[in-house]
Amino acid sequence: MATREIISTGNELAAIAAVDAGCMFFGGYPLTPSSEVMHVVSDLLPAVGGVAIQMEDEIGGICAVIGAAMVGQRALTATSGPGMSLKAEQLGLAQMAEVPLVCVNVMRGGPSTGLPTRVSQGDILQSKNPSHGDYKSITFCAGSLAECYTEVVRAFNVADRFMQPVIVLLDETIGHMHGKADIPTVEEVKAGIVPRKQFTGPAEEYFPYQCEHDEPAVLNKMYTGYRYHFTGLHHDKNGFPTEEIETCRKLIQRLEDKVALHEDEVESYEEFMMDDAEVMIVAYGSVSLAAKESIRHLRAEGIKAGLFRPITIWPSPAAKIKEYTDKIEKVVVVELNIGQFHSEVQRASSRLDIAGLFKVNGRALSPHEIVAKVKEL
Amino acid sequence: MAFNYDKYLRLEKMPTLWCWGCGDGVILKAFIRAIDKMGVNQDDVCVVSGIGCSGRFSSYVDFNTVHTTHGRTVAYATGIKLAQPDKLVVCVAGDGDALAIGGNHTIHGCRRNIDMTLLIINNFIYGLTNSQTSPTTPQGMWTVSQKAGNIDPTFDTCDLAIASGASFVARETMLEPKKLEKILIKAMQHKGFSMMEVLSNCHINLGRKNKMVSAMENLAWIDSISISKKKYDAMSEEEQLNLLPLGVLKQDLEVREYCEMYDEIKAVHQGKRKKITQDDFTKKI
Amino acid sequence: MAASPMVNPGDQPVWVNTDNCKACDICVSVCPSGVLGMRYESTSTLGAMISIDHPEACIGCNECELTCPDFAIYVADKQEFKAAGLSFAKLTDDAKARQEKIVANNYMSLSEQGVK
Repeated sequence: MATREIISTGNELAAIAAVDAGCMFFGGYPLTPSSEVMHVVSDLLPAVGGVAIQMEDEIGGICAVIGAAMVGQRALTATSGPGMSLKAEQLGLAQMAEVPLVCVNVMRGGPSTGLPTRVSQGDILQSKNPSHGDYKSITFCAGSLAECYTEVVRAFNVADRFMQPVIVLLDETIGHMHGKADIPTVEEVKAGIVPRKQFTGPAEEYFPYQCEHDEPAVLNKMYTGYRYHFTGLHHDKNGFPTEEIETCRKLIQRLEDKVALHEDEVESYEEFMMDDAEVMIVAYGSVSLAAKESIRHLRAEGIKAGLFRPITIWPSPAAKIKEYTDKIEKVVVVELNIGQFHSEVQRASSRLDIAGLFKVNGRALSPHEIVAKVKEL
Repeated sequence: MAFNYDKYLRLEKMPTLWCWGCGDGVILKAFIRAIDKMGVNQDDVCVVSGIGCSGRFSSYVDFNTVHTTHGRTVAYATGIKLAQPDKLVVCVAGDGDALAIGGNHTIHGCRRNIDMTLLIINNFIYGLTNSQTSPTTPQGMWTVSQKAGNIDPTFDTCDLAIASGASFVARETMLEPKKLEKILIKAMQHKGFSMMEVLSNCHINLGRKNKMVSAMENLAWIDSISISKKKYDAMSEEEQLNLLPLGVLKQDLEVREYCEMYDEIKAVHQGKRKKITQDDFTKKI
Repeated sequence: MAASPMVNPGDQPVWVNTDNCKACDICVSVCPSGVLGMRYESTSTLGAMISIDHPEACIGCNECELTCPDFAIYVADKQEFKAAGLSFAKLTDDAKARQEKIVANNYMSLSEQGVK
């Protein structure tokens, strides 16, 4: 793979990635620690003929993004926890109407206004179910500067494949980290773009929501002669509101199954020194950087530790987690919240003795804290 | 042959789920006739609606249609318009939709002066959810959420839009469909944000405890509170007190449209012009 | 679910689609010429249905069509109607008087007694 070196921040890399991936629209609202994403796209997008608009509030931001995506554009919004809470209802509409978009959430301390300028990973469970009702979220979590770029690019392709929002989690540490990143060239990214499916037959044979039980809707671009209806209501094959029992059941089951039955297409994780590991550390985002450092210390002391790092957080790599937890006794989940992914590891492993190292004071975890925890096990 | 409404209707959705005598249907009809007169291709129109009885408007017309969440109509439409500025975007919202939960989007849509038409169907009540107070419910009227009588002051929709910077503001009633059709055409042809308030009836939910149990009684009340702008302007303040003027209340052809302004931003970033400064604007603050 | 018949059923100045009518009375109230009235119809919304009692008096003003919220009543296109050798009536005093009586009769056809 052809790569290039960029010295930049996580937030800036996420913004550059969006534009390279063909994003033409950004709608958002200033929110620490995500604002730099908007700052960068507001320069880059108009230069390529796109639009970046600062709306009147977080809700307006995502509404405009969904609107542009309905027209057919790749569209991005970026925010942090309080903004995610405000955007939740619209994310639900995008799930229901099957509108693809990418939402970058640079996590800060919560709940509520919380710790605006400090790091947290407290939005893991929120990103699983931001809105009410049943649907299957897709969420990625960047664990390095380079991934702030590559995961946003992947998110756009996956959003168009599954026709739904994809959330990319950065945490404040990664978002504001400044350094060198090896990222794919623009040509490489452009060559990898898989645009959303379009129906090309006659308009009278086009039913956007009539698809296989595990397939997403095929939404043609607006103004192309295929007139149909978007709604947040339960809808029929044309998108028209309905309360017909079977249609309603099938629709919601399909929203679940289009992802659930194709999890392999989005699954992504990193195994670091796991080959001979006798202790498994589960960590993601910026914490995984500290975890890697701690593993070097632990190994120097003769403790065979390894890192399992989920990159796709939702749907979680549950099968892989189970495979490891079945053979490794000592497992510790390290995260900047009180066990949000820990509970998922418990679920996936069917084990209640999974250890946890949690921190919720807005400060990063140091490698020494992880070393100490592992030694306790 | 009569006028061909069918061309613009999703016939399988007829009859509408609106109550008997509901003004929404009359406004829908006027809108269809207006579009027909303008000669716009159906593929080039996007109708965006919110939640409430008016939210169903979009599902009945055969255009590109979007039924959004409660109050967010203008925000969705902003994305839709900016994504393809050469298309006609029309928002339809109710008084609760556009003025209560969506009030912020409405005023900022007006402020940006983005080229779209916001049709606010004002029936003075929350109809779909059975008679709760709306921002336009007259003081003293019964609502199910204020059974002792509504004490909440009302919004004047048009004053709000004018103050917020909309470049075209008009008010009409569903009593005179021919006038409504004409002003709708003006509103949709206006380059900029056009806000069109249409006074409508809800004898079912506004009328049922306010002595207007039939469409006709409700329409008579609307007639009694509205008057042409010309006559209104000739009145004393005392006479104007409980009347709403009808007609085009504001049309500013000078103020620049948002999508066009954004093209200037693009030009800056593409090196085609120098940066925008205060000198580019006559009115800066 | 029937398509609204815009096509003149046969040299009529005004005709209705009873599938769409919800008996709101608005068309009857706006007719200047006493053409329309409501009739009792136990199987219909509000127990009534629109009826064209005096098509010969229709002046082609189109008010009923424009104010019908439900695409249930249609008036012939003026040009086409003329071209077919037909013509709308002129508004007469008799017709105006009849309209007043219909309004006074709660928008019911004059042959119908009582209230809806």
